[in-house]
Amino acid sequence: MMMTIDSRNHIEEELGSLKREALYLAALARESINRSVWALKERDKAVAMEVIKKDDEMDDLARSIDQKCLQFLARFQPLGEDLRTVLSIMHMAVDMERIGDYGDNIAKVALDMSDQLPIKPLVDIPRMAQLFSQMLDRCMEAFDRCDVETAMTVFPMDDQMDDIETQILRELLFMMMAKTERIEQATQLLTVARTLERSGDRVTNMAERVIYICTGETVRASGFRRPKQEGTL
Amino acid sequence: MAKDITAIEVTDLNLNYGTTHTLKNISMRIKSHSVTAFIGPSGCGKSTFLRCLNRMNDFIPSASVSGSVMIDGRDIYAPGVDVIELRKKVGMVFQKPNPFPMSIYDNVAFGPRIHGVKDRTILDGVVESSLRGSALWDEVKDKLHSPANGLSGGQQQRLCIARTIATEPEVVLMDEPTSALDPMATAKIEELCRQLKEKYTVVIVTHNMQQAARISDDTAFFLMGDLIEFGPTDRIFTSPEDKKTGDYITGRFG
Repeated sequence: MMMTIDSRNHIEEELGSLKREALYLAALARESINRSVWALKERDKAVAMEVIKKDDEMDDLARSIDQKCLQFLARFQPLGEDLRTVLSIMHMAVDMERIGDYGDNIAKVALDMSDQLPIKPLVDIPRMAQLFSQMLDRCMEAFDRCDVETAMTVFPMDDQMDDIETQILRELLFMMMAKTERIEQATQLLTVARTLERSGDRVTNMAERVIYICTGETVRASGFRRPKQEGTL
Repeated sequence: MAKDITAIEVTDLNLNYGTTHTLKNISMRIKSHSVTAFIGPSGCGKSTFLRCLNRMNDFIPSASVSGSVMIDGRDIYAPGVDVIELRKKVGMVFQKPNPFPMSIYDNVAFGPRIHGVKDRTILDGVVESSLRGSALWDEVKDKLHSPANGLSGGQQQRLCIARTIATEPEVVLMDEPTSALDPMATAKIEELCRQLKEKYTVVIVTHNMQQAARISDDTAFFLMGDLIEFGPTDRIFTSPEDKKTGDYITGRFG
């Protein structure tokens, strides 16, 4: 049957509340990465424990968003942009929940390393975390305002993320070669760098989703990034 | 007719009711053996356009049509076209089931009889195959000579579809065929549409967007006499190109 203006208001309300919850989940994901990297850098056990505790809240929220999307689909049978939005929120919630897991992983490394003497002061890993925050902020700003241009700016930032990871990898390899006692800690830091790189990938996925919501077109971030070089790490 | 062949080609069709310009420069290619849905708010011209495809607007004295509608390589608006033959080739099912006040059998046999079929065995065959084709046979085979008015609304609508396909049309036009039916009866007609396209080209006007999304291959969106967008249903309902289409399918107006 034909919809009336009333049902449009109802749809807007429900969609608005779904969007707000997605934005909140993104804020939690951002915090999870930032706080866990802080805990790692500052050897702060308490903060690491907090991050691990918070992960359950993120899982619950992601599940609740998923459930609400399902109910929205069943109740409104949305089409067009509404359909794209709900479907994309479902995907994005998975990405964000996964970023939360990454934060949880980093926090566990932080706990593990908190009693060890650091092999080096952490500079690049916090830089990656900062870059990740910027990517996520832009992505969420684009999502909130349905702004394709802002979403597009996320893609090249993922290249920078990869660059820093490669740099970290090189540095740690040299450190390990020079002194084998460093291997254990260096390996853990490598894992953290890889985890942050994956968080960036997740945000890139989300930015693709935002563009899909706004335009209906499926873009691949790889088309907006520099070509992969042969033989790079 | 094979798939992806044009069944109906409309070029620059205009229709005026008196001084009201109801359809404006409509051009469209409807694919053979597919289901094409027309959607749009009330008064957008979708039913009027559907009726142009078998010249049902001829019955409205103030209606004047220009442009061409090619079916089987012939313009149905060309002088000398046999309108009765045309309507045999392009059958129609209406919003409200309208069985004739006669038996189920006679309803289905009505068209073939008008077109000169008298042989009882042939008629029996046509009645059975048409009722099977409209998924009604199993429900009525034991009461073919009972009055059609005794059937439920959904059965009556399927009887009307049987009556339409009894004359072996190429195209079946449906003008909101389920708007008077309950969900179960609607589901049966929708399933039937999918089956009908194996043998016929189906064009359906519907107010129910989800219905259009479920059953059609292509969808046309009309607004105030203009064809705004026409394309694969999969695209129209997920990523329409025109903002007006997007606004309509998300219920921003209508």
